[in-house]
Amino acid sequence: MMSLEQFKSRYVGSQNYKLIEIEEYPTTPWGKFKRVVKRTFKTELFVGLKIVFMEMVRFNIHTIQYPKEKLPIGARYRAIHKLLRLLESGNERCIGCGLCEKICIAKCIRIDTKIDENGRKVPTEYTINFGRCIFCGYCAEVCPELAIVHGPDYENASDQRAHFALKEDMLTPIDKLKEQKEYPGFGAPTPEADRLIKKTPLAY
Amino acid sequence: MIKFYIDGREVTAKKGETILQVARREGIYIPTMCYLPKVKPIESCRLCVVEVEGVEGFVLSCQTPPTPDIKVKTNSAELFTHRQNIMKLYDVNHPLECGVCDKSGECDLQNKTLEFMVNSQEFTAKDQNRKIKDWNYIQYDPSLCILCEKCVHVCNEVIGDDAIEIEYGGYKSQIIPKDAPTLECTFCGECIAVCPVGALISKDFQYSANAWELRRVPAACAHCSAACHLYYEIKHASIDNPEPKIYRVKNEYEFANLCGAGRFGFDFENKAVKDENAFNNALKAFKKADTIKFNSIITNEEALILQKLKEKFGFKLINNEAKAYQKFLKKYSEFSGRTLYSADLEDIKNSDFIIIFGTMVATDNPAVRYAMTVSNRKRNSEIINFHPMEDELLKNVVTKFVRYEVGTEEGVMAMLANALLSKEDKENIDKEWFEDLDIGYLSAESNVGEEEIEDVLKRLTRKRRVRAKRSTLILGEDLYTHPRAENIARLAGLIDRFTDFDVMIIPPRTNTLGVSLICDLDEEEGEFVIGYNTEGDFVLSALGDGDLDMPALNQQEGTFTNIDKRVVPTNVALPYEGYVLNDIARALGVSDKEYTIEFTKELPKEKGFKAIDFDELPNYFTNAGQEERGYILESNKVAISRERVEEIEELPEFNGIVVYRCEPVLQFNPFTAKTHQLNFSSELVGSKQFSIAAKLKDGDEVVIKTSFGEIKRVFRIDTSLKGTIGLLETFDMGLSYFDILSDYRYQVIKIEKASGQ
Repeated sequence: MMSLEQFKSRYVGSQNYKLIEIEEYPTTPWGKFKRVVKRTFKTELFVGLKIVFMEMVRFNIHTIQYPKEKLPIGARYRAIHKLLRLLESGNERCIGCGLCEKICIAKCIRIDTKIDENGRKVPTEYTINFGRCIFCGYCAEVCPELAIVHGPDYENASDQRAHFALKEDMLTPIDKLKEQKEYPGFGAPTPEADRLIKKTPLAY
Repeated sequence: MIKFYIDGREVTAKKGETILQVARREGIYIPTMCYLPKVKPIESCRLCVVEVEGVEGFVLSCQTPPTPDIKVKTNSAELFTHRQNIMKLYDVNHPLECGVCDKSGECDLQNKTLEFMVNSQEFTAKDQNRKIKDWNYIQYDPSLCILCEKCVHVCNEVIGDDAIEIEYGGYKSQIIPKDAPTLECTFCGECIAVCPVGALISKDFQYSANAWELRRVPAACAHCSAACHLYYEIKHASIDNPEPKIYRVKNEYEFANLCGAGRFGFDFENKAVKDENAFNNALKAFKKADTIKFNSIITNEEALILQKLKEKFGFKLINNEAKAYQKFLKKYSEFSGRTLYSADLEDIKNSDFIIIFGTMVATDNPAVRYAMTVSNRKRNSEIINFHPMEDELLKNVVTKFVRYEVGTEEGVMAMLANALLSKEDKENIDKEWFEDLDIGYLSAESNVGEEEIEDVLKRLTRKRRVRAKRSTLILGEDLYTHPRAENIARLAGLIDRFTDFDVMIIPPRTNTLGVSLICDLDEEEGEFVIGYNTEGDFVLSALGDGDLDMPALNQQEGTFTNIDKRVVPTNVALPYEGYVLNDIARALGVSDKEYTIEFTKELPKEKGFKAIDFDELPNYFTNAGQEERGYILESNKVAISRERVEEIEELPEFNGIVVYRCEPVLQFNPFTAKTHQLNFSSELVGSKQFSIAAKLKDGDEVVIKTSFGEIKRVFRIDTSLKGTIGLLETFDMGLSYFDILSDYRYQVIKIEKASGQ
């Protein structure tokens, strides 16, 4: 079984994969005929039925009982967006640079920004029109602050086509700051980031 | 013409052109950081270096004129490394705040950093603690500043404020206000426009939108007759409100200028919906009316519609301010032989000798002031200002100020004409008239000494001795409303015809020139008056306070005829839902056009307009800085009048408290007063001397009895003013502002302190 760590890693070449050998397909009519005869008299059907029956008797059933049970979602899965806060201060991470708005190919993101009393640029409102969003993940990838990310909540059936999300719907509530998890998907620093970074020389 | 080669391409340079100028004109790219075409080469960035075959080392293309047949190379591995090294130095400690910086997306530093592939900082310098400065409309962040010096140069060489300078201190260098703790200038905002990074920015715009989100609408500024080229930059107002909103105004800062009113006073739109009731009332009013009264802040097309209404229904068209200008221009052309005045702003920039007469030009028409500054800095021109009040804003530009008494303009003009015209010309024109001229009397009454005129002449001869090419006489608004305006115009016409002086007659409002050419104006009002942006019995108003709403000039497309005698197009920046003048004209059977701009090609040909469709009018600047906006009016020949110049009348005297109708910096009319950044109220401003004469203290609330009724003002002492004439500001008077424009700008007033004091 694959561990989650392995699953998350994007360095495909370095992993150990088990390769499966596949028999050559017959190409001649005679070869094909032989395969049919072989499959018919080997009673492969009953082999399968036997396995199903054995597992049923043993109650070793792998079907997930959705919605009571749910599979873990991969880190790179792109579901409904979240806006994150800084863990130390609780401030919003979004600086209102507008890159997500610009890169969005469905044109479903809009930001209003202003200057706040500390002279900083802040987003006063942030909306995503989920009726138009195609969950491409560009916004999360372009975000320089890891402020907008894709969460794992994929259950977004709604009775309205234009299911807008406002900032307060996506932003981590301040009292749940401790539960906020770092996002490992698209746009997050790669595991190699520390090694690749270059240090700026300092004069002091 | 010098023939040479850039990157193997054969190009030719005109005399005085530099390699960079030729390259730009030919569309060959040479990177620069500090180059600004409208000022002298600054030479601070050294990015524009090129290689010349046979010459060792690099050559600065921005300041080097080519010699014949040289072979210039704009790109090579060495040049790339050289430029890359410069960019590396620029990037040292530059704050990594592109994410929020207003300039991001249109930043020269950002572009060139990417172009020269600088992705890490290899050098280091100890960072300084630099405080962000708050300069009224402007914010300066020294840590973002790259000290290219564009702002300093444009402020000194083009604007003439000379308000900022560089505080030298090696790595600590920064821009500081010159000789002042904080920035005190005319807030034209050109420094914001030319700043290649986000160091100088507009405080109002800061952090409200990103450069790439804004849609640019090329237009013409609607505030004064310079009708400067500008872009309204537009985006939806907010997430809740999809209505478009103007976020800021930008201009083609490399070649053209814009004053603060244009840059900061942009949201004067009139929001309206189709109100059928009001429209029907308007139609009824038009049936009943015999007079249409309007002002000159309209487009040429609207002026034509009004003229057509007159032709069909016999309305009297009243626009006293344009009428005065029209009469002045007519008399001028009868004596000069041309329908239009001869000089434009480009001529002023290239003048060596300028006489400016009868206008407070820095506030009346900043574009003329900028042109004079350019001529003074580039050509070291003599600029003589004739006015009753010395203008503090022109002190960096004017080389001689001649003060005359209020009301004596006719006498001063006579003295000028007498001095400038040669003896033979005088004999040809009207020997007797010049002989009868009592210079002693004129000099005594106008207080302009004969020796002062002689000094002006001396300066002129000195200029003529050294290659002086062009002389210009600029006439302003004081003269058109003078009771003896027509005689002044006659003399101006003579000066234009017989001397090498070109004459500019500054149109006092946005489209006064257009209106005066298109409309047959009347003088007497009838019984029932329709006011279009003026007061009347039924008022159509773009200020939003009339009986029927009209679109403001940032909601209209059409053309203006500007000070350069150029018909310039302007476009719709903001939508307008209500009725426009063309709808009324259609309902009355005067117009068969769906859109107002279909009238553009019907503007009167005999007045110099051309039959060009609105959509065919160009509106841009070429790489070489050539202004390609609309077209220039043709100045036709006029039969020279056989009329004599009238005798100079006895010069009037203005005794008592005299005020001059003059708007402050950044204000022109009720439209600028309406905008959110320029929303301040009118005052009565005077010198210390004035306050003593009028027995007023700073901050007194006063009631002023003027020829146009009683008005309330707060009195303020301005220590930079001299003399005993007060400045009466009127820009926030709403529609009634447009009624007072036809009066002579000086008047004797009575002042009472407001009750309750």
